[in-house]
Amino acid sequence: MSFLQPLLLWGLLAASIPIIIHLLNRRRHKTVMWAAMQFLLKATRESRGKKRLRHILILTCRALGVAALATAAARPLISGVLGWGGGQPDLVVLILDRSASMEATPKGGTIPRRELALERIRGALADLDGTRLVLIDSASGEPQDVPSPDVLDRISSTAATDTGADISTLGARAAEFLLETPGRAEVWIASDLQATNWQPDNDRWASVRASLAGLPQPPKLRVLMLGGEAATNQSIRLLSSRRSGDQLVLDIEIARGEDSAEILSLPLTVTLNGVRSTSNVTVAGQNYRFRKSLPIPPNEETGYGWLSIPGDGNLRDNAAFFAYGPARPVKSLLVAPPGEAADYLTIAAAPGGKDQRGVERVDPAQLGQLDTDGIAAIFWAAPLPAGETAEALERFLGDGGDLVLFAPREESTAEFLGIRWSAVQESDADTFFILDSWDHDDGLLRDGLDGTPIPADRMKAVKRRLPEGEAAILARWDDGKPFLVRRVMDRGTAWFVGSQPDYTWSNLADADVLLPVTQRSIADGAERFDAGYLATLGSRAAQPRAGEARSRLDDYGAPASANEPYEAGIHRFGERILALNRPAGEDDLEILSRERLNDVLDGTGFTLLEDRGTSANDQVSRDVWRGFLIAMLCFLVAEALLCLPKKQPAGTFESRPSNA
Amino acid sequence: MKYDFLDSGLLARLGAIPLETRVPMLGNVAGKHRSPHRGSSVEFAEYRKYVAGDDTRRLDWKAFARSDRFYIKEFEADTNLRAYFVVDASGSMKFAGQGEAKISYANRIAASLAYLLVNQGDAAGLSVCTEKLHLEIPPSRRPAHLQHIFDTLGKLEPAGETGLIPALHTIAEKIGQRALVVILSDLFTDPQAFSDALQHLRYRKHDICVFHLMDPQELGFQFDRPHRFVDMEDGTSLVVEPTLIADEYQSALRDFLTAVKNKCHDAAADYQLVPTDTPLEPLLRDFLTARLPKKGHS
Repeated sequence: MSFLQPLLLWGLLAASIPIIIHLLNRRRHKTVMWAAMQFLLKATRESRGKKRLRHILILTCRALGVAALATAAARPLISGVLGWGGGQPDLVVLILDRSASMEATPKGGTIPRRELALERIRGALADLDGTRLVLIDSASGEPQDVPSPDVLDRISSTAATDTGADISTLGARAAEFLLETPGRAEVWIASDLQATNWQPDNDRWASVRASLAGLPQPPKLRVLMLGGEAATNQSIRLLSSRRSGDQLVLDIEIARGEDSAEILSLPLTVTLNGVRSTSNVTVAGQNYRFRKSLPIPPNEETGYGWLSIPGDGNLRDNAAFFAYGPARPVKSLLVAPPGEAADYLTIAAAPGGKDQRGVERVDPAQLGQLDTDGIAAIFWAAPLPAGETAEALERFLGDGGDLVLFAPREESTAEFLGIRWSAVQESDADTFFILDSWDHDDGLLRDGLDGTPIPADRMKAVKRRLPEGEAAILARWDDGKPFLVRRVMDRGTAWFVGSQPDYTWSNLADADVLLPVTQRSIADGAERFDAGYLATLGSRAAQPRAGEARSRLDDYGAPASANEPYEAGIHRFGERILALNRPAGEDDLEILSRERLNDVLDGTGFTLLEDRGTSANDQVSRDVWRGFLIAMLCFLVAEALLCLPKKQPAGTFESRPSNA
Repeated sequence: MKYDFLDSGLLARLGAIPLETRVPMLGNVAGKHRSPHRGSSVEFAEYRKYVAGDDTRRLDWKAFARSDRFYIKEFEADTNLRAYFVVDASGSMKFAGQGEAKISYANRIAASLAYLLVNQGDAAGLSVCTEKLHLEIPPSRRPAHLQHIFDTLGKLEPAGETGLIPALHTIAEKIGQRALVVILSDLFTDPQAFSDALQHLRYRKHDICVFHLMDPQELGFQFDRPHRFVDMEDGTSLVVEPTLIADEYQSALRDFLTAVKNKCHDAAADYQLVPTDTPLEPLLRDFLTARLPKKGHS
């Protein structure tokens, strides 16, 4: 509960007036000589029960009546964003989460969380006459003055977007703003507490807390979470899109919001260059990943389209956009000395039947200037590079290329990206190094889209070299030593594989492991070529380059021109066509727990309002002074009833003589 | 008249009504009140059979002529009345709330009735009792004796706790012959002890009248703010909120008055609750009238 006129709460002291009067009366007693003392003593003894209680009740009613009047005069608000305490702030900084997940409607409701939040905040601010409102929305991240709470739901800065949100950055922005704008301020955060937006482990939170606490007048922080449980929802996401000849290969994921084992049949509509086709998709389980190949119409070397599912609990996650360009060959580079390993790697990198695949073999002994232009992946089965070669490879990685380094035969102490190879280790006679565990969700050995695992457990080695240094381990030998590690550098990835596709080393050359490893690496590396047509909203790639004008090409949903930069869809930047999609984190269902929120906002004294109302008419704060006036009236009536004299028995005393 | 508790007009108006007793009296001289003994008055009492030794002059010869039996004709004996006025002079009798002090009112009753009694040839005595003092003036029918009573009443200074109960027992023991005992008190004592004293008096065949004097403020107990009540007998004090305990006070008072009235009833005593704002003349007139013999009764 908060009060619009908190100064009038001093009037609560008036509640003590009846008690003070009572105490003064007791002190200001008259002294009388009294004869009938025996009745007085008896009466005093007997009145220590109900009468005393009645008198206390009368006094309490009087005090509460006055207190209720004073409280009503202070204009209390309850159950609102305003919460307990405080008073009218000079400034409210509203951090509005406009991420795609805020468009989810609560169960049983029809209004998205973002709109509910705006309604609640509008209602709360209507009670705060004269308070300045500054909006920092998650899409633009820029503070802007809102002239009136009434326009809050009409301005484009509060409209729906397909973007993500970084609440910690917005918090830091709010702290910066408040540093320049002294005064009695409050920071309100309207969010669905999606963990990917809040990033509770982000170190920035520490500086946000410090910044807020370091302000001359630390603001009161209020977090508004609306709507409670979300309505039934399915989302569709494009995992990857690449052109393979005259086919467009789309890796798609459909996720279900509810925890249900029921099989769901969804119509999936594909719109490609204006042509729409619909097929049914059967979804079993929480997440369903599948690949869809779309034949590219002849003479349409470039184009775009989108995949969509029917509208449900969140209208912003029902479409995934893609675009494509002319077909181009996928080239990879193999740097390995002639031998069995090089042969197997050549076959794996460019197997027959993959028309667009090509591999160039280079002997490290003859390696001159490394030309990585147009190369998707490099396979390196030679001593670790150094000098200019290493720098060229780092540039390649920085551009988004994929580099797979196999353990070389040659002994070398060279180090690349902080990783070096150990000495060659040989297994004992008649024993093998066996691949024991690997990451099934991530890395080159991850399971297939349909969940089929790679049979990596078949891999055995008699020789190995261990990658030594700081890197993420994705597969281990049976003795716990690393087999496959990863170093991410900018947009590219370097993989270190602790054996050779050479049967004097191991059976890595078997197609069931080497082929997916090399092909996945090539696909990852080639993504940057296709990525020219795909970008995630909020990323640097989704921004127009200098001199490029932006325009929206598709007509999915209801595009709003003012909100174009924050909406998913097919966008034209100058001559380029780019399919912008919402960040993958927006489909993550994890909500920040109260404990985690406490950790994140530790020391800020924040208050969390979880409003489970689903209607726009539910007032986030209610002016309840009438209730207090009614309460006062009730107290006074109760006091009057308690004060009513008891009916005296008639004919008590008879003064006529009674004759014996 | 130099005694302010005497109203000559009142006495003149009430002089026409005799003060009668409800039980036969045993006086030492002939008077106007019934005696338990047969005597020589004109009032026929009864016939009884002649027994040897009876005075033959009292034989009813006419009855002998009619019945051939000897009957003695008996007549009522009339005697005078001796009255004791027992005045409680405890501290509580000094209380004067909305009316006059209870002791003053008691003085007026005692003095007026004593005057009327002596005036009709009966004897009046006075007994004043406090916790420490029991002053007694024996009854006398001499008019000069009245002055002694009035002087004593005039000098009464109520103080201390009541000595009414021992005083009543003493009176019951000391008075050999039947008498009228008029008790003037607020009776702030144990009702059971008072009852025992009344029974003692009754056992001695005394005619008992109780004037229970109460101040209207004691009866009403109407105060609107906290008061410190100081006991007029022992000085103890108590601060109370009267509105809080008014009901309990009235209840306790009611219980007390009912108990006292019942005790008086059990002892065949005349009981009269007298608020001190009651006009004296109607009170005494009613009192005297109520004691007159009923028509048809001897």
